[in-house]
Amino acid sequence: MNSEIVSLPNGRRWQVYSGGEGPQTLWLHGLRGVDPADPTLAALQTRYRVTAPVAPGFNDLDELARIDNIHELALDYDDLIEVLGLERFSLIGHSFGAMIAAEIAAHFPKRAERLVLLAPFGMWNDAYPVADIFAMPYTQIDDILWHDPAKRDTFARRVATDADVKIVAEQTVTLARSLTAVTKFVWPIPDRGLRRRLPRIACPALVLFGAEDRVVSPRYADDFKAGLHGANTAVVAGAGHMLPYEQPEQVKHRFEEFVRAAKMA
Amino acid sequence: MKFHFFHLMPYPELPADFREKNRSVWVDVPSSLFDPAVGHRAYNEYLDELEYAASVGFDGICVNEHHQNAYGMMPSPNLMAAALARRTSGVKLVLMGNSVALYNPPTRVAEEMAMLDVLSGGRLVAGFPVGTPMDTTYCYGQSPATLREKYREGVELILRAWSEPDVFPFNGKYTQLRYVNIWPRPMQKPRPPVWVPGGASVETWDLCLENDFLYANLSYFGYQEGQKIMDGFWHAVDRHKLPHNPYRAGFLQFIAVADSDAEAERLYAEPALYFYQRCLHVYAGYVNPPGYMSMATLQAGIEGQVARITNRAGARAEMATLSWKDLIERGYLVAGSPATVADRINDMADKLNVGHLMTLLHFGNMSKETTTYNTRMFAEKVIPRLRPRFHEWEDRWFPRDVPLQDAPAVSPEAVS
Repeated sequence: MNSEIVSLPNGRRWQVYSGGEGPQTLWLHGLRGVDPADPTLAALQTRYRVTAPVAPGFNDLDELARIDNIHELALDYDDLIEVLGLERFSLIGHSFGAMIAAEIAAHFPKRAERLVLLAPFGMWNDAYPVADIFAMPYTQIDDILWHDPAKRDTFARRVATDADVKIVAEQTVTLARSLTAVTKFVWPIPDRGLRRRLPRIACPALVLFGAEDRVVSPRYADDFKAGLHGANTAVVAGAGHMLPYEQPEQVKHRFEEFVRAAKMA
Repeated sequence: MKFHFFHLMPYPELPADFREKNRSVWVDVPSSLFDPAVGHRAYNEYLDELEYAASVGFDGICVNEHHQNAYGMMPSPNLMAAALARRTSGVKLVLMGNSVALYNPPTRVAEEMAMLDVLSGGRLVAGFPVGTPMDTTYCYGQSPATLREKYREGVELILRAWSEPDVFPFNGKYTQLRYVNIWPRPMQKPRPPVWVPGGASVETWDLCLENDFLYANLSYFGYQEGQKIMDGFWHAVDRHKLPHNPYRAGFLQFIAVADSDAEAERLYAEPALYFYQRCLHVYAGYVNPPGYMSMATLQAGIEGQVARITNRAGARAEMATLSWKDLIERGYLVAGSPATVADRINDMADKLNVGHLMTLLHFGNMSKETTTYNTRMFAEKVIPRLRPRFHEWEDRWFPRDVPLQDAPAVSPEAVS
């Protein structure tokens, strides 16, 4: 994928990846940032033009100084979409990125043509609380994110031991920075009122969960369905919270089915 | 040198298998382990011990703030300071302190501290900790991403609320107030001395040095481990081109005094191991929430840090099998005869250059009788040997003694 720096009128700069040809798709990454090797990104690029901005804070925490809350975050993304000139696009997000995607669609209902949420943060139900991934040692977070140990080894190689302290340091700082950016919008409970705003979302929506997601329970599919009129929800077998890494073909397949169904309707 | 008696107020009856049966002494410690009758006895004995320390010549008595913590039962140290203000005179009340970002609005802290300063006749030391991650982010729900910024804004508001003579508006990011005008105002002018207990963060050192606050390192691992941190602090003092006045620094040390080294082990081994094995059992997932430590701090010492975290994890596993001998050899505890203890503290004073020593003479499940003995031994046999240290320096970080004719009225039964 290409990477470029895009400047907004407010002076903020974004790193934006892009690649592939076809209908426009805006991808909002999850907890791991944008990895061009992400298999869902690769799969989507075979048929779509994929644009993938790096969320504020993931590269530099100072970027968060001017974004105080989820509404200002949505405004920033709206500015970015304007500058990128995206029209009639599909908006896809994973995890924290899916929470942002839902917020963008709720704040600016005319922007996206369709919305896809993969294991989204953003809702809270006392009956099945979202796991507290911020209250565990960094080295153990992957234990709860992944279902498939082989996929985990491929995409989230275990941090080296003391032998290579520089690699450990680098990985720890990157992870700490990413999670810090996320905590600003989800601490201590990942609920900023999205439930009240969901009915504003006007476009067709698809919500997918990994059947084995131990971070955000697949039961949240019901909560999203209740707020999103006419949303499709589905639970994908053989995946945990890292659904787009663990079942990329399933994600792509369900996405294309959803696009076709929306076109027919 | 000045000497302060610090009390953590631990719950004294955690079961022997606490480590094995529970994940953490803090945040999610089971409420089923708390017996209010035990708590009632503990609180009253602990206040007696603080008052006793005042009566035998300590300069300050210290209380601090923790939440949902079985080794620190003071969610509100201000309540304890208020009780102590009425039962003591002369001794300074070192409130180590209020975690500013937890109070909404922070003028609440300015008000309560002003009340304590007036009630005690100008004896308050105002502590402003950022607060541990356990207390601030997990128990009190503050986002670690914004905690420090909110803290700094709160401190600024409190200092202005104490010093500005007129009503003023405060348009902050975290607090907006149209009419700031606290009543009462502190007795000490221009303000009570401010102490900041903190870890090894460059940001905290700069905050202290820019504002003339005292920096205190409250470590449970003794002055040998603390040296690296205090070296960092004095390096920051150099950067700010300030003299190495030892009174701008404080350090916490576990201390156990007896007639002989053997007697020290007999008296203090059990409460010491109670502290290190049961009280320090904190779940590793609560220690470093993302954003609590600035990326600069994380990055700066990263290699040392990783080694340190790894060592700490090892140390945590080892805690279960710690012996009295280990505690002494590692320097977590300074223990022994008055001569031994005085030697070690002289060594600490040489190496760390700290003018304010916060002693932990009660720890773990130590009985009131043993605590009283330890406190008396330290006051009578150790303090006199160390008193002259640093006498050549002026201490500008401690309340002044109020001249006799202005001394506040105290009830006749007050101790000291």
